[in-house]
Amino acid sequence: MSAVGIRLEGISKRFAHRVKGEVYAVRDVSLTVQPAELLTLLGPSGCGKTTTLRMIAGFEQPDAGRVFIGEQDVTGLMANQRNIGFVFQNYALFPHLSVFENVAYGLRVQRQPEQEIARAAGDVLALVGLQGYDRQFPNQLSGGEQQRVALARAIVIRPRVLLFDEPLSNLDAKLRVHMRGELRELQQRLHITAVYVTHDQEEAMAISDRIAVMHQGQIVQEGTAESLYRHPGSEFVAQFIGRTNLLSGRVRSASPGEIELEVAGQHLRLPGDAVRATAGQIVRLVVRPEVIELRPADSPDGIPGTIVSRTFLGEKAEYQVRVGEDLLQVTSYNPVQRGLFTVGQPVRLHFPAEGIQLLPGGPA
Amino acid sequence: MTSIAAARIDGWRRTFRDPALFTTVIVLWALLALFILFPLAKLLARTFLDGGQVTLANLAAILRDVNHRQAFWNSLLLAALVGLCGTWLGFVYAFAAVRANLSRAWITVLDAASLLPLISPPFTTAIAMIYSFGPRGLITYHLLGIKGFTVYGLHSTLFSETLTYFPIAYLTLKPILAGIDPNVEDMAFSLGSSRWRVFRTVTLPLTVPGLANAFLLLFAASLADFATPLILAGNSFPVLPTQAYLQITGLFDLKGGAVLSFVLLVPALVVYLLQRYWVSRKHYVTITGKVGAQTTIKSLAPWARAPLLGACLLLAGVILYFYVLLFYASAVVALGANHAWTWRHYQVIFTEGLKAIRDTLVIAGAGMPLGGLYGILLGYLVARKIFPGRQAMEIVSMINYALPGTIVGIAYLIAFNDPPIVLTGTALIIVACYVFRYSPTGIRATVALLQQIDPSIEEASQGLGAGSGTTFRRITLPLILPAFFAGLGVVFIRSMTAISATIFLVSINWTLITVRILENMTELSLGPAAAFSVLVVVIVFAVIVAISGLLRRFRTPGAVDMTSILGG
Repeated sequence: MSAVGIRLEGISKRFAHRVKGEVYAVRDVSLTVQPAELLTLLGPSGCGKTTTLRMIAGFEQPDAGRVFIGEQDVTGLMANQRNIGFVFQNYALFPHLSVFENVAYGLRVQRQPEQEIARAAGDVLALVGLQGYDRQFPNQLSGGEQQRVALARAIVIRPRVLLFDEPLSNLDAKLRVHMRGELRELQQRLHITAVYVTHDQEEAMAISDRIAVMHQGQIVQEGTAESLYRHPGSEFVAQFIGRTNLLSGRVRSASPGEIELEVAGQHLRLPGDAVRATAGQIVRLVVRPEVIELRPADSPDGIPGTIVSRTFLGEKAEYQVRVGEDLLQVTSYNPVQRGLFTVGQPVRLHFPAEGIQLLPGGPA
Repeated sequence: MTSIAAARIDGWRRTFRDPALFTTVIVLWALLALFILFPLAKLLARTFLDGGQVTLANLAAILRDVNHRQAFWNSLLLAALVGLCGTWLGFVYAFAAVRANLSRAWITVLDAASLLPLISPPFTTAIAMIYSFGPRGLITYHLLGIKGFTVYGLHSTLFSETLTYFPIAYLTLKPILAGIDPNVEDMAFSLGSSRWRVFRTVTLPLTVPGLANAFLLLFAASLADFATPLILAGNSFPVLPTQAYLQITGLFDLKGGAVLSFVLLVPALVVYLLQRYWVSRKHYVTITGKVGAQTTIKSLAPWARAPLLGACLLLAGVILYFYVLLFYASAVVALGANHAWTWRHYQVIFTEGLKAIRDTLVIAGAGMPLGGLYGILLGYLVARKIFPGRQAMEIVSMINYALPGTIVGIAYLIAFNDPPIVLTGTALIIVACYVFRYSPTGIRATVALLQQIDPSIEEASQGLGAGSGTTFRRITLPLILPAFFAGLGVVFIRSMTAISATIFLVSINWTLITVRILENMTELSLGPAAAFSVLVVVIVFAVIVAISGLLRRFRTPGAVDMTSILGG
């Protein structure tokens, strides 16, 4: 069976809110997921990512817009008519059924012959590494094992698409990292289209082919992890993907190929095709902590600042540096060889031009 | 506005698209209309319509009678007193059970004693009261030698009803007191409060909503109680339910009975609405998800423990004494006069009374599965499905439960006596009365259980291709089986013990044990009445043991236990 894509065309979902009245959980979202791609919907809680996923599954009906799985318009269909595999945040295992019966459930609904059920359920349990767990009940399993049962139950029916709703958030940190690797590997092995919802940007970056960042019911940016990190389109995305410093600057002059900025009283020259800028305009600079280089205060140029705090983490050191009114985060790798700065010490900060991203406007 | 309308249309659309849901909703509404709304409408019509004209004349005529007005105030007075005394007793009892560091054995004794009144047929305490304090009472006449003590009146009705209904307050208050984290009390101690001050400023205020709730529940129970005042209140203290009964059975005045039961309906409904929609929502939820540190409860001073336990044991002792007396009375020739052992009374009930026993078991047996099924279906729909009129369905389903039995009985009598639907004299009318009156406990148990089952479990089934019918049968039903057993258990128990509604519905064809007990008592053959009562207690107890066993077998997370259901 070849993988099929998913297409959302302008879907919206409203909810009645106790205080705010009618609110949009999802507003005019359009999205295309390529066949066999793993796309992550990433955003803070309440951004509409889970609602979007549930509309793809058919647990919610959009108030407007259409949902396609493959070339089929499934908008009006209930979840049981869509042939999907859904993995819930809390696993939603059937507590009164054994592991085997949990996995066999979807096959029994399809009225498969008993022999086929035993074979398919056995295969899938082996695939997720749960041979011999047939007779166990969900409450006898650890969190990771429950997670595997939920996964086995979802894939055994050979769904057209796999949908994950924060599947790892109930696991402890170490297991989470391990399981996300397994999920990714399984998705690629099965060659199946998947949509994955999480609020954890690291998990999103680790697992996805592509990420769609959601904010207040809308998709604000889509792209690979690398492109989102390197070219955030908004302050929200810049702050949500990775850690970042946001600085304001004034455009002194803009010529094709180069922009000259004034930041914290210092002049900065950047390659100028990132934003269309005119002289006098206020712009925002996205500066990742790891691109800033700290040098001793007596070095010739750079922006002067003072170390406010230092956290030594072995392979890196994290500083907070006061620059004028702003507090900047700076990460220094291999600090033992490069030398550590102490709290209260004056320093100079160097911003390499190629590591800085410009965003238009913003508060001065 | 438009979006609300759109949401409503969306609700209809979804309902229509799911044929199983649609059919169930329609069938349930038809049943609710026929067995709850229709009789009530007929009752109101009988009260307010005369020859097609709306009139208050019937109401005015009844209220002009000083006896009836007296009965109204008496009912309210009795209910308020029972509410106060019962709540107080229940609180003391619950406080001893959860705050006095009693051993498990003591708590079991207290629990067992409080369970007895909940599962007894009516008249049980009344019979025991007459044996103890009547004209030839064991205590008043034989023991104390008092002559001419009148057992009939407010005092003994109050005493008997308080003993019968205080377990409701106990069951309401126990979880609330148990839910108060001892660490909160410890905190108050650490801030320098004395024990009494902690009780006054922390423990008691946290219990206030529970106390109000218990008071209203007891008020409603007493207001509706028909059996106790019928025996014990006497002529000097008329109350509404007995007045309505006498109006119909004594004077054959159906209209007068209807009007009187309407007068009773008003306070009953007010109390129910207060309890359900105001007090029961005012819970102080102290559940934080984290269990506080283990600590011993220090609420009670060591010296106060013994008197408190003593008081509770005295109360339990009185209850046990009543039941022992009942059993003794069923096994001797004539209690108070001739104490020779005999099987005579049991012979009577198993020969002359056999039809009543058989009828009662048939009716209870038929009502049991129907009530259980109806309870979980309605509870499931109300808790889980979105369809138009969902809240209305929940409210309507509770009406017959909330109303005093006398009203329901008279309403059924009026509604099903004439065409189009004639059910008078059949078993069906009694079964229907029990099912729609006592299934709400099952409905609530189902709703409570479903609230603890994450909806995503049902969504998981749907996502795997199962329709709503399959999901209900394969996933939801097994998970709410405990509520099913609890629901059918309550229907069975109440079918064995209730009388207030069905006394109007029995016939030559179908009669009930409880009605035979009443007949025996009015004929002053107390021996067979006691024997019948013992039989009912034994059967009900056996059923409770069986159902508790089933509940243990099918225990799922958050399962309800039987005793907590009987209180509601």
